[in-house]
Amino acid sequence: MRWIWIDKFTEFHSGKSAVAVKNVTLAEEHLHDHFPGFPVMPETLMIEAMAQTAGILVGEAKNFTEKVILAKIKKAVFFDYVKPGDTIKLKAQIESITPEAASTTGRITREEKLIAEIDLMFSHIDQNLAGKKFPEENFVFTGMFESLLRDVLISDAGSSKEASEQNG
Amino acid sequence: MRFILIDKVVSLKPGKEIKTIKSVSLAEEYLADHFPTFPVLPGVLLLEGLIESASWLVRQTENFAHSMILLEHAKNVKYKSFLAPGSKIEYTIEAKTIEENVSSFTGFGLSENERIVEARFGLRHFNLASQNAKLAVVDANIIENMKKRWRLLNS
Amino acid sequence: MAMSRDEIFKEVQDVLVDALGVDDDEVTTDASLMGDLGAESIDFLDIVFRLEKAFGIKIPREELFPAESLMNNPEFVSKGKFTEKGLTELRVKIPHTDISTFKNNPNVNKLGDLFTVGAIVKYVETKLNAA
Repeated sequence: MRWIWIDKFTEFHSGKSAVAVKNVTLAEEHLHDHFPGFPVMPETLMIEAMAQTAGILVGEAKNFTEKVILAKIKKAVFFDYVKPGDTIKLKAQIESITPEAASTTGRITREEKLIAEIDLMFSHIDQNLAGKKFPEENFVFTGMFESLLRDVLISDAGSSKEASEQNG
Repeated sequence: MRFILIDKVVSLKPGKEIKTIKSVSLAEEYLADHFPTFPVLPGVLLLEGLIESASWLVRQTENFAHSMILLEHAKNVKYKSFLAPGSKIEYTIEAKTIEENVSSFTGFGLSENERIVEARFGLRHFNLASQNAKLAVVDANIIENMKKRWRLLNS
Repeated sequence: MAMSRDEIFKEVQDVLVDALGVDDDEVTTDASLMGDLGAESIDFLDIVFRLEKAFGIKIPREELFPAESLMNNPEFVSKGKFTEKGLTELRVKIPHTDISTFKNNPNVNKLGDLFTVGAIVKYVETKLNAA
């Protein structure tokens, strides 16, 4: 089981918002325990998918210099369950961002249906986790996440360049 | 990789409280990604441990009446410290209300006297047959499985 | 925006109920955020973000809660207690708190007691009147 809960970014507006998608498939082993005979994506893994979408958005806003860790789930509310064969869309927005922390809001949808609302707080742990031991190097943002972003940042940079040339 | 985030039930007061334990081991595959140089149990799996514990309290209190028990909402879930391989965490769940199809709880996890996580959350419980009568056999299957799992957790 | 102290209190109460998961009736004027309501450092950040949003104000962190540098300064804090100079500094930096009782036994680890619901209400009132 890989710990990556989104498949790709479809939109990325640096410092503001991002949209990612995840396909849910019977190939995912954990589904067969939750529950046997009627697999549904565990709600906690939907929260993680949003945390990864929002966490990358927050991390990128500081060029991945900060160790961005999920510190608080302000609220997570679920309106329906998600099954294999479904694709969920995760939209995250940065509400506030300071040197020590960031606050995000997010919605998960399946086609037009609202599946969840998830609001999170991330801590930039170099700035405020006194007394806890953790490595110096940025262990949070690894190559796995970089490749997710690569495609969308290239295409977004292309389109924002076009936009500024038009407005210029 | 099995999706079961508790290992043992320590105590149970039906309708009121449950305590469970989870042991963390490097054998758990996702630790290789979270994080490669600093393996710690992901925060959402700490929450999953709390949810599973509460779900068992519901199943025992309502005598396995429902197959599906899902998280309906979670609030003020705070992560206070990291939990590393080789550690154990004890979850304590207190029920605020347990009704036929919904329940609400507060819970926390302690490891070596240190608070690792705390949360407030609510569950919803139902049978698939209530949406589609043909799924009654699926409900029965899930419930049988859960009874087996309960025996494992209490052995 | 002329909000009465009562209206400010109600709004602050809602913010604290949401951020800390406590009940309305626990959020009294004298309740301390840390001691009585269980707030921790991540909650303080959450509260600041929510207050900014609720009142449309900007809250530089050291205005509401004193900077670490204040506590690490030996002129202000000595042997775990605030000095006279330290107390004066507190009066200047965080005037929305009431140090009249604190100054009799100014233990650094009791500093948290100063951050009451009432102190937050006073702070917001000052910010709104200055705006």
